[in-house]
Amino acid sequence: MISHPGMTSPTIHIDPFQAAQLLGKVLSETPEFRAFFAASKAVYNDATIQKLSAEMRSHQTALHWGRDPDGVHTAELTRLELELEDLQAMQEYRATEKEVSALFQAVDKIISQEAGVDFAVNAQHTGCSCSG
Amino acid sequence: MELTKEIQTAARRLGQCLRQDDYIRKYLDALEETRTNPEANALETKMYAEYERLIAREQEGEILTYEDTREFFELRQQVQDNPLISRRNRTHRQIRPYVHQIAEEISFVLGVDYTPLAKPH
Repeated sequence: MISHPGMTSPTIHIDPFQAAQLLGKVLSETPEFRAFFAASKAVYNDATIQKLSAEMRSHQTALHWGRDPDGVHTAELTRLELELEDLQAMQEYRATEKEVSALFQAVDKIISQEAGVDFAVNAQHTGCSCSG
Repeated sequence: MELTKEIQTAARRLGQCLRQDDYIRKYLDALEETRTNPEANALETKMYAEYERLIAREQEGEILTYEDTREFFELRQQVQDNPLISRRNRTHRQIRPYVHQIAEEISFVLGVDYTPLAKPH
């Protein structure tokens, strides 16, 4: 029995969790996903990218706490972002990300049409209870 | 984008499972009931129209007073108090963690987060 938060004893006819696992498996075997996964690993293992990312995080932290009276952190963050996006590994990552995103969006459209609810939009984790 | 038969079938199956799920059906029923109820419909339409009107006034540089926004807040209260709208919103809030758990299942198999990649931009 699958637990549904906030509801009592619902009846499940077919298990959506199993259907989700099967879909995940099918998607994991696509060339678009494989290319994206390989590019992600390359980015993760790239020392230059990791160094730039660490530098960016320190500027983001400063901005988060409002410590940027002279705009140095903002300027440096913009410069680092441009430098990062200019790297070959990053460009490959972005290109494969675009491809896999187009694939997943097409898949999500089918799920949402069949389900009657927007799947990815509603799956997005939110602590907000702003829908009334 | 052209999808293979296998992907289409797997995606369709997940969508159908969701539609048949009691939990999702409760939300879909509430959604349909609200959509087809003239009173609830008119109330929401009026509230959104009032909201748009206030936004337009603000964008023109007008500083809105409490009196200007009073009608909107009264409408919003009526919307929140409407039993059909309230049930729809409640069931919508309830399905979100559940749908999130199902999407997590896809992410777990992939090893990357499915949702940000699949969400329409």
